[in-house]
Amino acid sequence: MADAAAKRILVVDDANLVRRFYRDALERANFEVGEALNGVEALEKLLVESFDLVIVDVNMPQMDGLTFLRALRLQAAPVSSIPALVISTEAAPQDARAARSAGANFYLVKPVPQDTLVAYVSIMCGLPA
Amino acid sequence: MNEFLEQFVIEGRELVTQGNDDLLALEEHPDDRERLAGAFRAFHTLKGAAGIVDFVAMGRALHAAEDVLSAVRSNNAQVTPLLIDMCLGCLDQVGAWIDQMQATGEIPPAAEDEADDLVRRFSAMAGAGKPLLPGDPGPVVPAAVALSSIGRDLLEAQKMLLAEPAAEGAAGRLESAGRVAANVLRHHGRSLDATDLEGLLQSSLLAGDAAAMSAAIDKVLEGLAERPPEPAAATAAPPAEVTLRVDVDRVDALIRLTGELLIAKNAIGHSAALAEAAADPRALAVALKNQHLLLDRLVGELQRSVFSLRVLPLHHVFQRFPRLVREMANSLGKPARLMIEGATTEADKTIVEAIFEPLLHVLRNALDHGLESPDERAQLGKPATATVRLRAARQGEHVLIDVEDDGRGIDLARVRDVALQRNVASQSALAAMSDAELADLIFAPGFSTASEVTGLSGRGVGMDVVRTTIERLGGQVAVSSRPRRGTTVQFTLPFTVMMTQVLTVEAAGQVFGVPMAAVVETVRVERSAIAPVGAARAMVLRNRTLPVIDLARALGRGPGASAGDANVLIVSIAGQWGGLEVDRLGEPMDVMLKPPEGLLAGVPGIDGTTLLGDGRVLIVLDLHEIFDNADG
Repeated sequence: MADAAAKRILVVDDANLVRRFYRDALERANFEVGEALNGVEALEKLLVESFDLVIVDVNMPQMDGLTFLRALRLQAAPVSSIPALVISTEAAPQDARAARSAGANFYLVKPVPQDTLVAYVSIMCGLPA
Repeated sequence: MNEFLEQFVIEGRELVTQGNDDLLALEEHPDDRERLAGAFRAFHTLKGAAGIVDFVAMGRALHAAEDVLSAVRSNNAQVTPLLIDMCLGCLDQVGAWIDQMQATGEIPPAAEDEADDLVRRFSAMAGAGKPLLPGDPGPVVPAAVALSSIGRDLLEAQKMLLAEPAAEGAAGRLESAGRVAANVLRHHGRSLDATDLEGLLQSSLLAGDAAAMSAAIDKVLEGLAERPPEPAAATAAPPAEVTLRVDVDRVDALIRLTGELLIAKNAIGHSAALAEAAADPRALAVALKNQHLLLDRLVGELQRSVFSLRVLPLHHVFQRFPRLVREMANSLGKPARLMIEGATTEADKTIVEAIFEPLLHVLRNALDHGLESPDERAQLGKPATATVRLRAARQGEHVLIDVEDDGRGIDLARVRDVALQRNVASQSALAAMSDAELADLIFAPGFSTASEVTGLSGRGVGMDVVRTTIERLGGQVAVSSRPRRGTTVQFTLPFTVMMTQVLTVEAAGQVFGVPMAAVVETVRVERSAIAPVGAARAMVLRNRTLPVIDLARALGRGPGASAGDANVLIVSIAGQWGGLEVDRLGEPMDVMLKPPEGLLAGVPGIDGTTLLGDGRVLIVLDLHEIFDNADG
């Protein structure tokens, strides 16, 4: 992967294992990774640090992924326009639709293999092939 | 498998436990949304974890359970005992899979069939699944995907996002879609198109209209080149490990102590340099004494810290009981609720690990014998659902654990009859017993027999085994009971357990223990090699003459075996070596040593006693006294 180092990804998931799994994949591809355990933490992070993409789970305590997305899109620019990739275990079309209507740019169903994750993230960040 | 297996095992187990807790609480309070959400999240997170270790079958089983819970969440289904049973069963299976994965590092081969079975049962319960709605492509389930098809999917998704009727945050959505679309183009080497799109984005934002952008995306969708899919990378499996989770504070304390020890070590190096330079001996002595004091304190602290690593909250074992009590209560037809108090109380790991069986036995007994039938309870005006309390508390150097039921109490008249009938105590002994002593008879060996084996309490072991187990841990068991009010069984256990390693030996037909620390080696010598020296005997081992004592004779039980080779234990007593002749050598074992009590207290040569697994007392020898007495 070329110059992923400049790109910063925020991983929002309450499961330690999942965050570690994504972080591991992304860091090996030279992305910089931030973590948040739920929507509240994610919003706090996004308001003080800049990220190029948010990867977000749906089912989380405190603030779930969809509530987070709706709140994200209501922020002032440029925070409001951060691309969001939802990765959830829900595989039904209505789940993807709900995420989209909350403002998700894309929806993937877990499990996402590490190389697939890196492929999606690279493209969504506009890295050269 | 992959490198995440270890964490999968640890977190998986925690989630199974959490799910269990939430499901049981949910059964009790079906309207508790928080517990419902907790249970749902446990299944959900487990499913995610299964995906990470590529355990597809487990994901499938959990998904089925999650669907059922999801139906409850959306008020399309109700919490029923069957539903709870099925979900608990699913967690049991998941727990078993995790165990197998830890043992083998592989996905269990039977998992596919087991998962299918669970899914079948869940779908039978839930009825037929809902059909997917037509007209929507649905979410993307990642497979081995070609890059260009990813790009295409992403662009399609941005178009759909732009087409969403958004009341709020429209600008944010529009702009994020534009950013993603431009990035897809950039990725495919079409930077100019990307810049164009971004320009279009700005004007769309100003106009508040996404149609032009959608059209632009449509145009570029045609031009994306196809690429062959990349092969998926294989990952290697790490070996499974047995781990102990330790409080971070305790590890920090160890790290801090290590730092201080390093400083103390350096100070000694400094003193050594002083000694070398022939410094004033008194100054040197003072320095060394101070360093010794410091080291003494640090080593003491280190010892306490290391012991504290072995301390675990009783929660580790208590958490298993709500589930078991529920099952026992169901199978006995006696509704009962288990209340746990003080689960955060800590105890030595040895105790936490050994306490499960005795507690289970006491709980079983409480449910089976202690509690009345629902009809009886109704007649007595007691609540239909019985309450059993499992409590733990720390008291000084002891940990108290008790099990209290609100049942009928111990029927002392019946205890007396049974004791007589089974020859546990004589008529006259029974007549002289206080109520407390009578109640205590339930722990006597032979009191409970196979004749009263029921589905639960039986299994051929009685309360005597409970007492033996607790006493082996250095603890005590007591029972108190009030007629029609209930029974309480209390364990008093030591907070720390000091284990001593002993080697068992046999002499004069009895088994003794010798502290392992004193044993140098064991040898077999010809009997003729042990020669009389005056009143004593001696042998030569590698040019050293050692006194040899026949253990049987030293204990006043006559001479030991006289035929064949002699087994001699070479022991070191205060730096002096000696030989201890025994009939047979046994196994080394870890025991909890108790100082000799009662009649044994006055007998020389006994260091302490411990209970063996079969209930026999093992006498551990005081070699000092044995060799001293033999000399005289």
